[in-house]
Amino acid sequence: MTAAPISLGGPAPRQGRLHQVLTSPQGAQVTAIFVFVALWQLVTLVAPRVPGPVDVTQFLYTEITGGSHGGIVTGQFFEHFAITLQRFSLGLLIGFTAGLLVGVVIGLSGLARALLNDTVLVLLTMPAFVWAFLTTMWFGISWRAPVLTVAFTAFPFVAINVAQGARAITPELKNMSTAFEVGRTKRFRHLIVPAITGYIFAGLRFAIIVGWNGILLSEWFSGQAGVGFRTRYWFDANRYRGFVGWVIVFIVFIVVLDRLVLNRLQARAFRWRDPLQGEIDLSHQEQAGA
Amino acid sequence: MTNTVAESVSEGTGQALVLRTAAGSRRRRYLAVGLGWLAFLALWWALSAVLGSEARLPSPPRVYREIVTILQGDFWTQFWASIIRVIAGFAAAVLIGTPLGFVMGRSKYWGNFLQAPVVVAGSIPGLTYAVMAFVVFGISFWGPVLAVGLIAMPYVAINVAEGVRGVDRGLIDMSTAYGRNQSQVFRHVVVPSVLPFVFAGVRLSFSLAWKVGTLTEVFGSSKGIGFQIRRNYQLFNMPAVIAWVLLFIVFMLLLERLVLVRIERRLFSWRQWERDQ
Repeated sequence: MTAAPISLGGPAPRQGRLHQVLTSPQGAQVTAIFVFVALWQLVTLVAPRVPGPVDVTQFLYTEITGGSHGGIVTGQFFEHFAITLQRFSLGLLIGFTAGLLVGVVIGLSGLARALLNDTVLVLLTMPAFVWAFLTTMWFGISWRAPVLTVAFTAFPFVAINVAQGARAITPELKNMSTAFEVGRTKRFRHLIVPAITGYIFAGLRFAIIVGWNGILLSEWFSGQAGVGFRTRYWFDANRYRGFVGWVIVFIVFIVVLDRLVLNRLQARAFRWRDPLQGEIDLSHQEQAGA
Repeated sequence: MTNTVAESVSEGTGQALVLRTAAGSRRRRYLAVGLGWLAFLALWWALSAVLGSEARLPSPPRVYREIVTILQGDFWTQFWASIIRVIAGFAAAVLIGTPLGFVMGRSKYWGNFLQAPVVVAGSIPGLTYAVMAFVVFGISFWGPVLAVGLIAMPYVAINVAEGVRGVDRGLIDMSTAYGRNQSQVFRHVVVPSVLPFVFAGVRLSFSLAWKVGTLTEVFGSSKGIGFQIRRNYQLFNMPAVIAWVLLFIVFMLLLERLVLVRIERRLFSWRQWERDQ
């Protein structure tokens, strides 16, 4: 499809349009998806143990509609997904709130920064699977382990980002609001919140990505239910199409959440700053999100 | 808060007072950092005393003893095993990610074509790569290498693409006008301006890749830090788990602070004049 337009001296208008469609950003993305699926199919032909696109689609259909996988095993998509979502939101809420508080304190007070910064850095370096192990050793196999794994992995990312935002508030503005006797609430609403909104979003996005990884690991190692548990269930059963199917589910979930929801929210939160900025962000995100 | 005070003082008063204030605030900051560590240790100790059991949260001295045992034992063998794999993984990421980034930066079409796959590859949970590496290689040296390579590659590619797009066209045109040939332009203009972006990709993915590397060792390895953490987890040996994790964290922070920052300064040293101006 790339060879045609170059060799022809004067391409017919219809070919020209086709060429235009194929080489447009959207065209390139759609082509990329087709090429990916074709490559996947090719790999399946070479290595028969790898489940192909058709296999995996069939599996996902059965799993989502609750049909029978053969024997007594039935599809349980929504049960596991709902459980994971509940734990994920609760853990995220805890980690995010704690991170926000600690971040603001670190950012605004030099003393707090000196006291707490190193601890946050240490937590930042901690791999998520370590939290999964530790919380399992502490709480056994229960809902607390995944929730706290999410909270612990998300917390330092939020704290670091919010602290950066709070530090970036210019002293001039702070001094001015003191000089003009701007009230505490007003100052919080009009000075601190707008200054750190972007950093909060950045922190939240990091938190969601690392937290999602955390909950999958925790459920993989010590769950009785949830997305991570179900993925492992099929892995242990040597049914790789189930494994690949669930991997696709949790990748699609995080990519959609990050690209389509958070990017859009971020653009909305910043529409006051630069009307064009929002537009650019949106188009960029649509480019990347397809 | 202390910064603001120091700054407003420095504007109004003499040099001596400023220096004294600066030294004083630095001393105060070190004191606070030390206090922070003490508070951290005290909290840990108090928690371990309340929880009581060694299997839950061992006290700092208990973990310290474990760390000493590990340092006298096979610490370096295990760390070296992990380091080699991570370095090999990064090498693979740079070897594949750099040409990809080049293509993405040079051609609009390939930029659009590869954008989504690379972005998606960058946000795939590490668990996927770790399990995949295990399925492909089993218990082997190459599993962690593959996982580190896969997780770091998108970062390298995206940064290199950014760098290639940012190469000064004017500089290339001028070099061509003065009769430099393609390979000379490549060697002296393109490479120096893209190299820092290759490094930026490595630096950005550094801690993530290390974590995924260790995670892969949890699944399929008979050596390395991840394997040690997992072994002690299965033995329910809490002091050893915490000791290995602490050693890992200290090692990572040192590596980042000492090695990476130094390489970064070196790579960017030719741009020093830019910053001075």
